[in-house]
Amino acid sequence: MKAMILKEFRELRRDKRTMAMLIALPIVLLTIFGYAANFNVDEIPTAVVGDNAAPIEQQLPDMFPVESDVDADATAQELIRDNVVDVAIDTSTQPAAVYIDGSSLFAAQSAQAAFAQFPDGAVSVEILYNPDLTTAWVMVPALIGLILTFIGTIITSIGLVKERQSGTIEQLAVMPLKASDVILGKIVPYFILACVDMVVVTVVGVWLFDVPFNGNVALFALGAAIFLFVVLGLGVLISTASQTQAQAIQMAIMMLLPQILLSGFIFPLDAMPTVIAWIGHLLPLTYFVEISQGIMLRGAGFDSLMVNFGVLTLMAVVIFGAAVARFRRDLAPSAHKRATKDGAK
Amino acid sequence: MSEPLLSATQVTRKFGDFTAVDNVSLTVEPGEIVGLLGANGAGKTTLIRMILGLLPATEGDLRLFGHEPSRQTRARLGYVPQGLGLWDSLTARENLDFVDQAFGVDGTPMPEALTDQADRTVGQIGLGYQRQLAFAAALGHTPELLVLDEPTSGVDPLSRARLWDTVHEKAESGVGVLVTTHYMQEAQQCDRLVLMSQGAQVAAGQETDIIGDATALEVETDDWRAAFAALSAAGLLVSLAGTRVRVVDTEADAVAAALADAGLTGTTSVAHATLEEAMVVRERR
Repeated sequence: MKAMILKEFRELRRDKRTMAMLIALPIVLLTIFGYAANFNVDEIPTAVVGDNAAPIEQQLPDMFPVESDVDADATAQELIRDNVVDVAIDTSTQPAAVYIDGSSLFAAQSAQAAFAQFPDGAVSVEILYNPDLTTAWVMVPALIGLILTFIGTIITSIGLVKERQSGTIEQLAVMPLKASDVILGKIVPYFILACVDMVVVTVVGVWLFDVPFNGNVALFALGAAIFLFVVLGLGVLISTASQTQAQAIQMAIMMLLPQILLSGFIFPLDAMPTVIAWIGHLLPLTYFVEISQGIMLRGAGFDSLMVNFGVLTLMAVVIFGAAVARFRRDLAPSAHKRATKDGAK
Repeated sequence: MSEPLLSATQVTRKFGDFTAVDNVSLTVEPGEIVGLLGANGAGKTTLIRMILGLLPATEGDLRLFGHEPSRQTRARLGYVPQGLGLWDSLTARENLDFVDQAFGVDGTPMPEALTDQADRTVGQIGLGYQRQLAFAAALGHTPELLVLDEPTSGVDPLSRARLWDTVHEKAESGVGVLVTTHYMQEAQQCDRLVLMSQGAQVAAGQETDIIGDATALEVETDDWRAAFAALSAAGLLVSLAGTRVRVVDTEADAVAAALADAGLTGTTSVAHATLEEAMVVRERR
């Protein structure tokens, strides 16, 4: 047994990726997720509209920082729908009407508790888009993104690296196929399967958990398609950097974990320290969660989700482009070299 | 004379400071079987990867059918890699169908021995059948040049003989063949040989050219087992041909001294080296 243990340690010592996962990853995970794992939202972006805004603003507790730079013509409900703020107060009514965004679950829970402390009749509180603050309503749209990430990243990278591990990628490279045909031929089936999964998960989520679908289906499909390009690109990138399926799974998990914990779908981004929240803003799932929750729960339109669509599109172009370029280089290194030489002339 | 199907001129491939292939030149003419020989790490597979266009050459000129390796030249080439390049989870038939579609041909026949196995996945059929399938896949589009990287590795002698029958049949019909092998019997079936050692080309030509004037010492003793052990222990390159002990790359005096040290007597005579012995000698130098 001693020999076996010694052999295992020797193998582990030379497997740098596994060593990194064993030693560095727990420290990184503990540090980042320790800060991220916080359900308590200390500050809830708030807007106050109407004729009587100034005195109401002064009465608000510190946890409701008032956003001054909001569309003056927008109604309180519109500001919630467009995700400008999580709490909007309309002071033109008596008592003032407080609207809370139920799709921001933890912020909404904190806000609801805070307004419950107000004297009876001081304000009327209405929670929009998720009146009962049902967790499933918030989780299901985000889970769609997580499932797409799982398929796009893990399944795709395993499928592609299998080709490399078995040596058949070399066979593809010597066939008279265009590199683009091989790349598309490999990716399209996963794209189709992920689309089918997306439809199934969405329909089952809506049907099983009574999650409303208030927005435009086509806009949702567009967002999901762009997001799929990003995660498929990540899957292809992982496959080009892995020699074995085990390596691909390791890397995919390293990509998946931060997306689960830092995209705002479990722990609210608003509750994270700024640096950790910024890491969250580098992750594609963060933007898809905004899109899916926005469209399904709030019925948000393209205008209010434009930034999320824009960032996801940029990520899709960069990540998918880089993935295809690396995959192409694996398939046709001579052509790549020739192109480089020609370019240098 | 027609243009060579394959022509490599002073081709070099470096990986950083390491030179995997060093200034190698070779040609393959239509109908010719050229054997690429060398120990593991000699650079054979790297050279083949350059020929296929999977690796760019650091220096030198490589031409397939008169052109740089490209998608067009690949369409005229059949390749059986060491790992066979078959899709394990597809059936034998599905593998052939896919390769047919990739090369734009139709109806590559299933090898006769595989007709009962056609609907089994490749992972479920034996290595001998897999090799036959890989050959069929490589030949389906009637290539002009066949590149075989240790095509009979791990195959039983009968299956190996069958595969070589196919190689000869194709060569007779005008197909050029470049084959790497470790088996000397297979090397002897080639029209020309190129011997590589540590990335460099150390000999080229027919079997007699590779052997050149290399000789071996044949040792006759009463106890060949003891002689073999004694000569090996003395650090000499010893082999057995039946019960005859053969020694290469040394002098008769050294053999006699080694035998005497072990308390043995024997006579030595000079014989022509075999191809394998000649290769060993060349690789040592």
